[in-house]
Parts: sequence; C-alpha cells; structure tokens
Amino acid sequence: MMPLSMVTQGEVVQVVAVRAGWGLQRRLAEMGLNPGVKVRVMNSQRPGPVVIDVRGSRLALGQGVAHKIMVTQA
Amino acid sequence: MAKKVITLALAGNPNSGKTTVFNNLTGARQHVGNWPGVTVEKKEGHLSYAGYEIKVVDLPGVYSLTAYSQDEVIARDFIVDENPDVVVDIVDASNLERNLYLAVQLLEMGVPLIIALNMMDVAESRGYRIDVNALTEEIGVPVVSMVATRNKGTQELLQTIVEVAKGNIKVTGLRLQYGREVEEELTKLENVISTNSLSQRYPPRWLAVKLLEEDEEIMKRFREL
Repeated sequence: MMPLSMVTQGEVVQVVAVRAGWGLQRRLAEMGLNPGVKVRVMNSQRPGPVVIDVRGSRLALGQGVAHKIMVTQA
Repeated sequence: MAKKVITLALAGNPNSGKTTVFNNLTGARQHVGNWPGVTVEKKEGHLSYAGYEIKVVDLPGVYSLTAYSQDEVIARDFIVDENPDVVVDIVDASNLERNLYLAVQLLEMGVPLIIALNMMDVAESRGYRIDVNALTEEIGVPVVSMVATRNKGTQELLQTIVEVAKGNIKVTGLRLQYGREVEEELTKLENVISTNSLSQRYPPRWLAVKLLEEDEEIMKRFREL
C-alpha cells in the first residue's frame, strides 16, 4: 500500500482508503473516487497536480490530496 | 386562453450531456447570461410543446448538492428557491454509479424529478444492459432512455415532462434508510424542525440530513432564524 502521489505515471491502481477528514472523503466519493475503485495515473510529474482517470473522467488532484489516498497495485 | 407555463431545470454531473439535451430541446431559442453576482454562465431557453410554454434552465454541472462550490450553490438555490415544476437529471448511463449519487440528493429534496438516461449507446458499447423499468420502480421516478448526440429520446422526454407537470405521473420518490443510529437522530431533528418556519420551504427530513452533514449553507439559514 502506498499513497497515490507515489504511483508512477501510466500505472493502474486500486484505491484502498482515503486518509482524510469526512469532508474530503465525501467530496472525493461524490466525484467517484471511493475505496475499491480502480484509477489510472495519467500524470504525476512534480511539481503539478496528479491527474487520474477514474470511471472515465479525468480528475486533477493536488499533491496534498493525492498523498492522503492510499492505493495498491490493481 | 393564455398558454400554461412549465419551468424546467436541467441538472446533472459535468459531461453528462446537459447542454446537448438543452440544445435539442430549445434549438436556437436560448439566452446566455450570468447567474446574479457570479461569473457562472446561465443559459435559458424556451419552447412550445403540447399547448405548454416550457422555460428551460441549464444548471451548472455538479457532482452533488452540498455547498462545496459556487456551481453547487447555484444549482441548489435554483431548485430550492425557484421551485421548478420539473427537474430533469441528465445521467451518463455509462457511469451510473457515480451519476445516481446526485439523483439521490435531488430525490431527498423532494423535487419532481425525471431521470434522463443519456449516452445509452456508449453504455451498450461497453456491454452494460440497463433495465429501465426496474430502475424506475427502485427509485420511484420516471426514467427516459436517450442518446442526446443523435437527438434520440427527446420526444419521449418532452411527453414525460408534460405528464409530470400535469400531475399525471406521480413522482413517489425515495426514502433512503441510513441505519438505526442515524435514523434515530434524524427523527429527533425532524420533530424539532417541523415546528420551524424553514420546514415550510424545505422537506424536514432533507434539512435534518443536511444538519447532520454540517452543511454550512443550511446551518447558516438556521442561525439566521
């Protein structure tokens, strides 16, 4: 298990947990990013946002947010 | 006799095809402005159908109706304050799970809702088969299949809009159960809220849910009482 911010560009991973307050957990779930879902990392160049493909939509997450999302190899 | 007017709001997630449906409905008869006080585009159009004058408002694309962003507040305020006769939630059929979250929020607000299952062609090409009748029964609102990019389903949607506005189709809605502990608190809150003037404007259960969520807008409205 590792934070989403550490995933290499192009990899597909599965979300295990969102280690954040309920406000951020809910916000991410509203956009389809909840535990169990598979995401593909489309961009992880620093500095800059982590861009992921989740359920067919692209989301851009700040490094701080990406650091709170725990994933495993899908 | 003056034409009867129906106010119709189009809601939905970003990229669910709201604007395509809006264009199919209104053609060139539309007006683009801004929502008051903010630089979020407000699109309005109108059409005549079956003796009705239908005013169509394209709401900003949102994932939910919390007070998280300006777009969400605009969409929610319009639905709550302007009381549209019908709300159509444009749902991306190829992405049902995420899209139905907004639908549930609209249902909890008790709005006269129609679900437009858009992008049925994309859903089918991905191998999804959606049982429209079962979905209608499960969530208690009419569901219309559409492929807005090919203008499929527009007539059926219009018919359904008129039937819902007339009251011929009853939108029974949905009452989600949140489990015993949450339900107990909701009941307590509802009892207090129903003696309160805010409950004239919003469903008490919805207010109770929002208070438990610590929704800032709703908490503010209670403080202002």
